[in-house]
Amino acid sequence: MTIELQDVSFTYPGSQAGVERVSLRLGAGELVVVIGPSGCGKSTLLGLIAGFLKPAEGRILIDGDDVTDLPPRQRQLGVVFQSYALFPHMAVWENVAYPLKVRGFGKAERKRQAEDVLNRVGLAGLAERSPASLSGGQQQRVALARALAFVPKALLLDEPLSALDAALRAGMRDEIRRLQRLQNLPTLHITHDQEEALSMADRVAVMQQGRIVQVGTPQALYDAPLTREIAEFVGHANLWDGTVSGPDTVRTALGELRTLPHGQPQGAPVQLLVRPERVALGRDANGVNSFACRMLRDRFAGPVRRYDVEVTGGILLGETGEREPFAAVHIPPAHIHLLPQTRTIPESASTRVERGGTP
Amino acid sequence: MNLGITLAYLVYLGLPLVLLAIGSFGKVWSNTLLPTGLTLDWYGQLAHDGSFRRAFLVSLEVVVATCLLCAAVGLPVAYALHRGAARGVQLLARIVSLLPVAVPPLVLGFGFILVFSSDALPWLGSLGLLIAGHTVLVLPYLLQTLTSDMRLLRLDAQELAAESLGADFWHRFIDVVVPSMRHSLLSGLIMAAALSIGEFQLSNLIAGFLARPYPVVLLQAFYGATGFACAATVVLLALALLAAASGALTAGAAAATGGGRAAGLPG
Repeated sequence: MTIELQDVSFTYPGSQAGVERVSLRLGAGELVVVIGPSGCGKSTLLGLIAGFLKPAEGRILIDGDDVTDLPPRQRQLGVVFQSYALFPHMAVWENVAYPLKVRGFGKAERKRQAEDVLNRVGLAGLAERSPASLSGGQQQRVALARALAFVPKALLLDEPLSALDAALRAGMRDEIRRLQRLQNLPTLHITHDQEEALSMADRVAVMQQGRIVQVGTPQALYDAPLTREIAEFVGHANLWDGTVSGPDTVRTALGELRTLPHGQPQGAPVQLLVRPERVALGRDANGVNSFACRMLRDRFAGPVRRYDVEVTGGILLGETGEREPFAAVHIPPAHIHLLPQTRTIPESASTRVERGGTP
Repeated sequence: MNLGITLAYLVYLGLPLVLLAIGSFGKVWSNTLLPTGLTLDWYGQLAHDGSFRRAFLVSLEVVVATCLLCAAVGLPVAYALHRGAARGVQLLARIVSLLPVAVPPLVLGFGFILVFSSDALPWLGSLGLLIAGHTVLVLPYLLQTLTSDMRLLRLDAQELAAESLGADFWHRFIDVVVPSMRHSLLSGLIMAAALSIGEFQLSNLIAGFLARPYPVVLLQAFYGATGFACAATVVLLALALLAAASGALTAGAAAATGGGRAAGLPG
């Protein structure tokens, strides 16, 4: 079971918002998380796949069949809304059994299957309750159970965890992952929480202003973001502009930094990314990329310590598990990443990265 | 100061009602502050008066028919308005549905007289026309209640959910819209009933002699004995208060269950 969007465009009437030339493919059993700032078009994307919105251009395919003109009720997709949208006048089991009711199943059979699904999501024994009497986390599971009850072709989740408190969220992430794997369902999960995205996804798609700007595994996205915005959106980042001064050196405001051989021509402008946890304490044995530093902000966050230090030429963000004070830091060359040259989002970024990973 | 104004207002509202009630039990009332004597005769006369009994029944028939018509027309129209297509269509429908509120019932009555006393449409004075007139007057209020409740109940999210689960239009209407709306429909209809019971302006103009609702006949009572008129008015008042109280109770129940039960409140 696969879902595919081909060059899909849509604009809301009377506004600029929407999506532009988006292409994406969800393979069998794959969980793709779409993240991006508010208004970037991620919920629009879900609306297009579900059939609530009709694209102005492009095609939507489910298992290879063109469903662009098919109404939502014929697409066989399980949708979980941000507000859950449970039916308040029906009991929990009736909510879950509703897709079976519209498909003509008898009452006894519906109830049996509904209770079966409720067991699977960990809500055994709550079948007769009303949705209003459940907690937020339980309501969320009912919404999930309802979307799974009719064995859909895929799951679409629109920020399903954003209404839950942090403690519940982590547990529910694992739950969704487990259920999705159990039924091998291609799943599209929308969120603005980057930790959620990185921890759950097989692949992550980052959206900005209606376009998909990068798609890749969580590790690829974190270690090799394509642009400055993506680098800053997914995790914390040290970012500097620089000029190439040699095959493995770059001149920056901090001085000359040693990198791995980068293949860029002499004098070329580049952007450098260093993740805070890659900044090492103390001087390097050979003095490479080492700086004397002065502590500006020292934040204890439990398992890690997030600090800002002042070095000649700028400020470095770092992260470490060590608690002792230090007077110098260094950046191992292997952990300096050069962002690709282009500063603007290329027209066909989404199709290009879809085919071959990072360019 | 606020308390003073409130009390004064309550007295202003309540005094006529209280005097009516007192008057309905008084034997003789002429030019004195309060009536003299105590009697139940007025109510007795009322019960035996043929035209009042018939008027009471006509009022009940009209109220029931108006409520049924309003419900049958109101719910689908409210749904259409709520799920309306273009903004322009919604605005137009809203204006049209609110027109009867802007137009005074008197104007509507004269219009009816003109149109329905012709040879082609000789329906003036019929019960059917009376019911139609009441429906037109009362429908906007029901529509307002229904559409605002549809918005409040976040019905569109539920409908999208139902759609994604495979439900077609009728399934959505019967399984999601109607059950969610039953409380607001009931309280809206009770308000419609209260409005219809007390409707006078239109009814006075177009009601035929044998199909006069209660308020129209009540006018006649004031040409007779004061006590009789008081008793007759108290009956109408009792009906109106009954409708209002039921409406308030139902609306309260709706708010307690409907609002709080809107799915998705974080727990």
